[in-house]
Amino acid sequence: MALASVLNSDCADFSFDTCQPFGFGSEPGQSSLGFEARSLDGLSFSVKSALSAGDEDGVERKIEFLHGTTTLAFKFQHGVIVAVDSRATAGSYIASQTVKKVIEINPYLLGTMAGGAADCSFWERLLARQCRIYELRNKERISVAAASKLLANMVYQYKGMGLSMGTMVCGWDKRGPGLYYVDSEGNRVCGDLFAVGSGSMYAYGVMDSGLRQDLNVEEACELGRRAIYQATYRDAYSGGQVNLYHVHSEGWTRISQEDVLMLHQQYKDQA
Amino acid sequence: MEYLIGIQGPDFVLVAADNVAASSIIQMKHDYDKMFKLSEKILLLCVGEAGDTVQFAEYIQKNVQLYKMRNGYELSPSAAANFTRKNLADYLRSRTPYHVNLLLAGYDDTDGPGLFYMDYLSSLAKAPFAAHGYGAFLTLSILDRYYRPGQCRETENGLCSCFLNKRFILNLPSFTVRLIDKEGIRDLEKITLVYLFFSAAPV
Amino acid sequence: DFTGQENFGDNGKMKDYHYTGPVEHRFSPYAFNGGTVLAVAGEDFAIVASDTRLSEGYSIHSRDSPKCYKLTDTTVIGCSGFHGDCLTLTKIIDARLKMYKHSNNKTMTSGAIAAMLSTILYSRRFFPYYVYNIIGGLDEEGKGAVYSFDPVGSYQRDTYKAGGSASAMLQPLLDNQIGFKNMEGVQHVPLTKDKAVQLVKDVFISAAERDVYTGDALRICIITKEGINEQTLPLRKD
Repeated sequence: MALASVLNSDCADFSFDTCQPFGFGSEPGQSSLGFEARSLDGLSFSVKSALSAGDEDGVERKIEFLHGTTTLAFKFQHGVIVAVDSRATAGSYIASQTVKKVIEINPYLLGTMAGGAADCSFWERLLARQCRIYELRNKERISVAAASKLLANMVYQYKGMGLSMGTMVCGWDKRGPGLYYVDSEGNRVCGDLFAVGSGSMYAYGVMDSGLRQDLNVEEACELGRRAIYQATYRDAYSGGQVNLYHVHSEGWTRISQEDVLMLHQQYKDQA
Repeated sequence: MEYLIGIQGPDFVLVAADNVAASSIIQMKHDYDKMFKLSEKILLLCVGEAGDTVQFAEYIQKNVQLYKMRNGYELSPSAAANFTRKNLADYLRSRTPYHVNLLLAGYDDTDGPGLFYMDYLSSLAKAPFAAHGYGAFLTLSILDRYYRPGQCRETENGLCSCFLNKRFILNLPSFTVRLIDKEGIRDLEKITLVYLFFSAAPV
Repeated sequence: DFTGQENFGDNGKMKDYHYTGPVEHRFSPYAFNGGTVLAVAGEDFAIVASDTRLSEGYSIHSRDSPKCYKLTDTTVIGCSGFHGDCLTLTKIIDARLKMYKHSNNKTMTSGAIAAMLSTILYSRRFFPYYVYNIIGGLDEEGKGAVYSFDPVGSYQRDTYKAGGSASAMLQPLLDNQIGFKNMEGVQHVPLTKDKAVQLVKDVFISAAERDVYTGDALRICIITKEGINEQTLPLRKD
């Protein structure tokens, strides 16, 4: 998943852009994840502004982390539904169509991936370790609230240094279904519905019109799937497959993985 | 845009904060509580940089609670305000300053009600009324015009009118309102968009 | 500007003779040395291939600098990007493999090496190794495995992956020929070793036609349980 492409622009009068598969510029993905530009400025040691990058010549190296993604999660009466796309982009190049953007932290906790893929997978891996240590120390499972706070506190220490991640921590604990949004800005909020990534707006649109508390599992899954599908249809930076998970009192189960191409055919036939 | 307000009356302080948790252009949450209970009669209202707000407010909150455990008595509102300010000032000159704007409201059994204004540059002022955020530009002038130290209940109406004026410029759908007096902290009815429209006529 | 490129005109732009404000000069410890790597996994084999050209900008520094590095008897890594970091990184991996062998009395599996590489890369999150890595090898069951990485350590297992300067040319071809993407009514036959090797040769010959950073020669490492077999095939040298 080549989400980070290290770009070199000092051969500007050399047709570098076309040779380098990971082209420049992908503003839509960057701003719409929900991170303000300010945080992207300090992406790295020599990076002045990843946003103002582009075709200007100058001996400046940019390291771009791209967040073209749509992920969503919502609570309903039977638990939490998590749905994500599977595309990874580097500039306009699709680096992968088979990314697993749902990170299985442990059998009852899930995390989603938006932003820097390495950032998400690394910190959620570390979170998994912390959660296990908590279990061994306290002889009980960690709550979703506590797990999400561990993650938020870990990344808060690196605030302003260029980490880029927008994740939803989903699970089930004593208090029932749990859903928290945590990002590298330091936000951590509890909620019933979140969508993260460049296609989140489109997903929110479908979700807000179809979400009810009394959905059954099947209806809820279909709603989540449809929301991601519609996001992949509108957002060029989202696509690939739709991965679907259901979190319930027994932990999570993987519901489905469907190719968007197939869903497209299926929805077309239905209509 | 975030908004905090506090108004002091003769025997109480009234505070309100908006309920929006935003990330870029998305409202992640519509019922977010920006108030932190420091002790039985002290509230800290906190807005500013994402992450910093909760981290700083909870740090202060836990330290005020620790103080009570260690010493067996609570910090007064003015002591808590000065403690908060000192921390903010120390962090301001560190590598990791907190970018937070605060209001601290409390009721002291000897000194009566107190409202303190603090900003991220660690200035501290005791004020009869105070506000943070763009909404402050609108509401402070209203309070300058109508605030009387002796007023009681109608303060609440004043508060509503402030919101009302804000309401049409900035798009904040609801506010948490709390009142602190000698009895402690009390939740008042949330001000929502609907309520504001209805109360528009009498105010 | 010591490169002399300005003599030929800066992108047709007019030169700024007037003072336009302070100019920042910054030392950058990175370069892009081109090169393409490719790995394919089969049922009981894996192939890692790379070209052998080392270039920077207009000039070709070397025509014999393969980017495949043998790590263990069942694992080969392909590294492209900044050659300096490639060398540093492969040496660090080699050292870590030795340390592992001394403390555990066994060699690391491909999967373990991939997990380790991920943490090595992420440890330099704020000053990354500018390297695109692809690991090819056999897993514990003897099946072919390919792991692809981004420069800061995000990785996943694939069946085939191209990386480096011509990756965008190779990958769609592999999608079609190995992944059978966008093909209707075809039989998804498993990839044979001979077919895979031929395919690797073909895509590299094609890439050398169109990518200035790819050429000179192709180094192919074929990993089977019998060992690693290396082949070299000449490519365009212009």
